[in-house]
Amino acid sequence: MATLREPVEKAPGSADLILNLYATLLQDTWDIVSELIGEAILALLLASSLEKVSKKYPFLNHLKVSEEGISWKELRGQSRSLSPSEMHRGFQSLINHLFYLFSAMAEGVISRELFPKVFPKIREAERLLSQKQG
Amino acid sequence: MRLVFKKLNVLRSTLNAISMSFEMKEILSAAGGNLPNLFDFSSFGIFLRDGRTLHLLEEESCSTSFTQEAAKNVLKVFSILGGEAIRLDRIDLQVEKRNFRPGQMAMNPQAALRSHLTLPLAVEGEMIGCIALHSDQPNAFDAQDLQFFSVIGYQISSTLKHVQRFSSVKDMALYDTLTKLYNRRGFEERFAMEAQRAFYSLTPLSTVIVDIDHFKRVNDTFGHPEGDKVLCEIASVLKTCVRKMDTVARYGGEEFILMLPQAGLEEASMIAERIRRQVEERRFDVGKAHIQMTVSLGISNFPEHRPRTKEDLVRMADIALYDAKRSGRNRVCVFMPRSR
Repeated sequence: MATLREPVEKAPGSADLILNLYATLLQDTWDIVSELIGEAILALLLASSLEKVSKKYPFLNHLKVSEEGISWKELRGQSRSLSPSEMHRGFQSLINHLFYLFSAMAEGVISRELFPKVFPKIREAERLLSQKQG
Repeated sequence: MRLVFKKLNVLRSTLNAISMSFEMKEILSAAGGNLPNLFDFSSFGIFLRDGRTLHLLEEESCSTSFTQEAAKNVLKVFSILGGEAIRLDRIDLQVEKRNFRPGQMAMNPQAALRSHLTLPLAVEGEMIGCIALHSDQPNAFDAQDLQFFSVIGYQISSTLKHVQRFSSVKDMALYDTLTKLYNRRGFEERFAMEAQRAFYSLTPLSTVIVDIDHFKRVNDTFGHPEGDKVLCEIASVLKTCVRKMDTVARYGGEEFILMLPQAGLEEASMIAERIRRQVEERRFDVGKAHIQMTVSLGISNFPEHRPRTKEDLVRMADIALYDAKRSGRNRVCVFMPRSR
């Protein structure tokens, strides 16, 4: 299974750039949170978040989660046909939902560890997207 | 460094104690004995979705309002984490108080829930409940607490998985897999308790043995799978004919046994006759045929027949059943002392 730990592929299109950015971001999230709550619980939370968010953003169904990480293979195969802004909104929604779950479980404990690393990358994605659109 | 080492040791013995547990109470007690050495908390909860049970282990000085707040919080977080929404009045809340803190540090009766850690309990990718720590202090838990608590949650999940497997093995030992009735061993366990109660309190206890007439012919003519269907159907007739407090078991082959607490001979005879009639009136679908079946029944009663032991009571019902068979089948016979 291709996991979050795979090297992020370099790809020329903006959809690929967004995908790479969020792959790195989710990799960081996985590394930080799995150290706190373990891979099994994190995989469960990520799978339930994907199930919920993919109702609005079906492309997220192509992400597969297990205790070993997230498989990006299927989604990478589809990425060229996706709109970058749609991908950005989908991933942002997924990240927001995960933050909501983390906060419900452990109030600030997870967010305190996670936020400083993740927040700048969301900003980076927004900047990248606005540049492409400009 | 020394403190972390000490905590790791406590964690190790907590995990060990949890892993040795065979039921929920033991898990709770194992966790409860060690958690105060790991965390500074006011209450610890385990919620299991299956039985809709919330076990709360609390500091003795926890107020009722704190208990309610903690319980509501567990259910709220459980529903956010992906379980269904469950109301507090729909669960079985079991609270156990323990003295975690010295008297001078007892909780303020007005204390409110200020912080918590709640983690899902998952077995093979399915969320089966959650565990929680609550405190009346703000920001009571840090990243290390969360790490330790996750490890404890993981151990509780895997122990619960073993407990579930153990329960299903236990079920197999006590229940008949075909009819889902008690098997002989399951019956004998219940019968031992009920007979002891009846003998000591001199309250009536009746036993009825039911045997399907000419059952071998069904197996020989239509095959064993069709015979099994007849057994299941008769088992369901038996269940519908008895009272809530009665026990129905498959005693062996085509023989069933009923234990009717507080039933005198008259009531036991009425129940037995109802069974006989319902079986006789029913048409059983066997293969492509609709066949009629009958049963013979033998009844014994304490204190009427003066059994000295529970084995006597069963033996007397068996003798009565033999009388029913000998006198033409499809009938109910009560034990007659002369037939001893």
